[in-house]
Amino acid sequence: MVALTQALLNGLVLGLIYVAIAVGLTIVFGTLRLVNFAHGAFYAIGAYIGLVVAQQWGLGPALVAAPLAVALFAVILDRVLLRAFYSKDATSQILVTFGIALIVEETLRLIFGSTTLQYPPLPALATSFAMGPIVYPAYRLLFALGVVVMLVLVWLFLEKTDYGLIVRAGVRDRTMVQLLGGNIKAASTIVFALGAAIAGLVGAAASPIYSIAPGTGFAFLVPSFVVVVVGGLGSFWGAVLGGLLIGELQSVTTLVFPPAANVVIYLCMAVVLLLRPQGLLGESEVIRQ
Amino acid sequence: MSPGLRFALLTALGLALFPFAFHAIDGYAGLATQILIMSIASIGFNLLLGYTGLLSYGHAMFYGGGGYVAALLLIRVMPQHPNLWLAVLGATLAATVLALLVGALAVRLYGIYFALLTLAFAQMIFFVVEQSQDWTNGDDGLQNFPAAMLPIGPYSIDLGTPLPALPLGPFGNLSDIKLWYIFAALVFFGVMIGVRALTRSQFGEVLTAIRENEERSTLIGFNAPAYRLAAFAISGALTGLAGALRALYDGSVPIDSVGIERSGSFVIFTIVGGVQTLFGPVVGTGLIMYLEAVLSGKLDYWRLIEGVIFVAVIIFLPAGIVGTINNRVKERRALLAASVRAK
Amino acid sequence: MTAILETKLLGKSFGHFAANADIDFSVEQGELRAVIGPNGAGKTTFFNLLSGTTEATSGTVFFKGTDITPLDGTKRVHLGIAKAFQTANIYPEQTVLQNCRLAALAHTQGAFALELLRRSGRLSGVDALAERALEQVELAGLAGVRSGDLAHGDKKRLDIAIALATAPEILLLDEPVAGMSRDEARKTEALVRKLASSMTVLIIEHDMDLIMGISDSITVLESGRVLANGTPAEIRANQRVQDAYLGGHSEAEIDA
Repeated sequence: MVALTQALLNGLVLGLIYVAIAVGLTIVFGTLRLVNFAHGAFYAIGAYIGLVVAQQWGLGPALVAAPLAVALFAVILDRVLLRAFYSKDATSQILVTFGIALIVEETLRLIFGSTTLQYPPLPALATSFAMGPIVYPAYRLLFALGVVVMLVLVWLFLEKTDYGLIVRAGVRDRTMVQLLGGNIKAASTIVFALGAAIAGLVGAAASPIYSIAPGTGFAFLVPSFVVVVVGGLGSFWGAVLGGLLIGELQSVTTLVFPPAANVVIYLCMAVVLLLRPQGLLGESEVIRQ
Repeated sequence: MSPGLRFALLTALGLALFPFAFHAIDGYAGLATQILIMSIASIGFNLLLGYTGLLSYGHAMFYGGGGYVAALLLIRVMPQHPNLWLAVLGATLAATVLALLVGALAVRLYGIYFALLTLAFAQMIFFVVEQSQDWTNGDDGLQNFPAAMLPIGPYSIDLGTPLPALPLGPFGNLSDIKLWYIFAALVFFGVMIGVRALTRSQFGEVLTAIRENEERSTLIGFNAPAYRLAAFAISGALTGLAGALRALYDGSVPIDSVGIERSGSFVIFTIVGGVQTLFGPVVGTGLIMYLEAVLSGKLDYWRLIEGVIFVAVIIFLPAGIVGTINNRVKERRALLAASVRAK
Repeated sequence: MTAILETKLLGKSFGHFAANADIDFSVEQGELRAVIGPNGAGKTTFFNLLSGTTEATSGTVFFKGTDITPLDGTKRVHLGIAKAFQTANIYPEQTVLQNCRLAALAHTQGAFALELLRRSGRLSGVDALAERALEQVELAGLAGVRSGDLAHGDKKRLDIAIALATAPEILLLDEPVAGMSRDEARKTEALVRKLASSMTVLIIEHDMDLIMGISDSITVLESGRVLANGTPAEIRANQRVQDAYLGGHSEAEIDA
């Protein structure tokens, strides 16, 4: 029972990371129709910047610096390169963003080396939270809470602001978004930066829990794509549902039958793709893209 | 001379000269053989991407799958009489069956969904291979399996045998080349001739039509998913064949051969060389593998260079190296024809 | 006379919206039948249900007495049901002849043929079928032209030729003269008359002069249902049809 509870908590933490990355993927796709294989790179950059800043000034400044730096990088990337690919087919987008992901990964390797890096033993990471027989690191619980708060803020942004309206409209109907005209350019920049900042923030916040390596970005990206497909490309709640589902599935399988832990999420995605290609909460309009 | 014959002769001539180039430009002796083998995989990948528009992110499942099946056939089935024909044929067949199974599910999807479903299957196979310690040796891969012999008539040939010694000045020594190269070149030649015929055949004609306008194609009576499935199976078969040859040539199958980076490498090879061209995947594979062989030992950041080349090609030469050359030649010819007409 | 194509209580709903409902429809062999109705009446949906590009949510489609409801569009083409699209649906990168050759190839070789090495050029029947289709629509002179470069009217006639190259028994024409100049339209009208002499033709068209002039009979759809069936004279005199058009969308359509 204790083991199961711990597994469920682990699944929650892992799932929330997936949700945070997937939300970025999904709002970027919804607004810009861009399939971004470089999104995992934002996570990795955030993790490394976070580590560097944390070593100097502590975890707090790291959680501010990482998302800002990643958002800046994302905006430059978008302006210089990706904008030209918005209108191209999914295959071209996958190719170019895959290439960018490669370049980022190798640049990180060049700067920080191939070895897996660990966080310094900060006092904040040592505390545990105990409830009866269940002992769980306090930082992880705090992390989970923080991601939930962040998701609520993102949701409010999507629901209550004009930019959010553009995102939601874009998922349903491209022409409507184009009718909104001038706003769209600013909105697409903001949405792209926001998605990247979320990934960067989560990268910085999660790396005390998971270790950091140049390949970390891609390692989180692939399951996050699984999440997006399971939940429904373009759907916020789909990303949330899919992320928690995949996180828990992976974590519980690790407990019950470890060899299948990595297979089960792909199996889950394959089943969803074949039975309900638009995803659990997706709209059928987008499947042919 | 018919275009087909000219193509065959030029290809054969190129293959005869190819291995001698590497000594002069700092490559190692086996590189020519490895490039030819990997090119076969890229050609298979290109058949799918170029003629159906489907981007597979899971071709390592056929490549690595072919390698593992070939090795396991030697280790488990015929350790006493390791027969190269049987190992290669068995592996290719297995890759074809795998492609038919995965393809049956995947060919109704498009774009990102197709890419992700193939990626999902490849990942599943990667983890199954990694977890099946007893059979696959897990992360360490398979090594030291019996060297397969190539039975031809009454003879049993060891492809590891070098050619007789003969100094060739700047081109090294004839004995740098093993019989493996000749075998790989013959298989490669067969694949090139076959793929060229395929793209000009009725099958290639219908695939091109489906790619250009699927809605019209289904409403004149073509079963588009069936054609895509056939293309996927042929693509998987060629990639599996390459995987088997590489395993037998290297005498080992690393776990990376079914990994996601291997799937990505076929994407890079093909895009750099040129999608939907016959020689594009070969040029791309050769260029990247050559640069890797020369640079990866000296520079830490070879993979960064690879990434930059890849993105640069996508942005500046979207048709790839061979595709761009082809287009230039076509333009030149059209201009020439126009000026002749003008006179 | 027997019905070549027939539907019973055919319907198509998208969520709560019924694009087609309870359509009982029957067309005789050799007939030239027009399907008309105000914009949004469900004509194109009805054609899609007949050609098999859209799956019916209720009801049955019969071809020569056999239930073909579960068959997709590809299978129905091979039975002899061909369609030309409202917007010319062609292979713009291929030559005019190659457009028709592909259709003829599908007809002679079936839905799937694993001809991996041999070329289609060896099949003389394919060329003959394709060339005949082009002659019928009077595009034989443009056989070598890249079809994307054709004029609008020629593209639409090429679309019809593609349908003809599948050797159909029944041809569905979705607004064959829409967007054409008067000359082009007249040429296409003559073509439709000629085709109707050798096969069954179903036509959706807004040009009422054309419809009244060439149809054997007319089915009027409104709001996804059959409003009336009859000869052109009967339809012209039908009060409900007049109400549907005049009360609904466009006077010009019935006056034209």
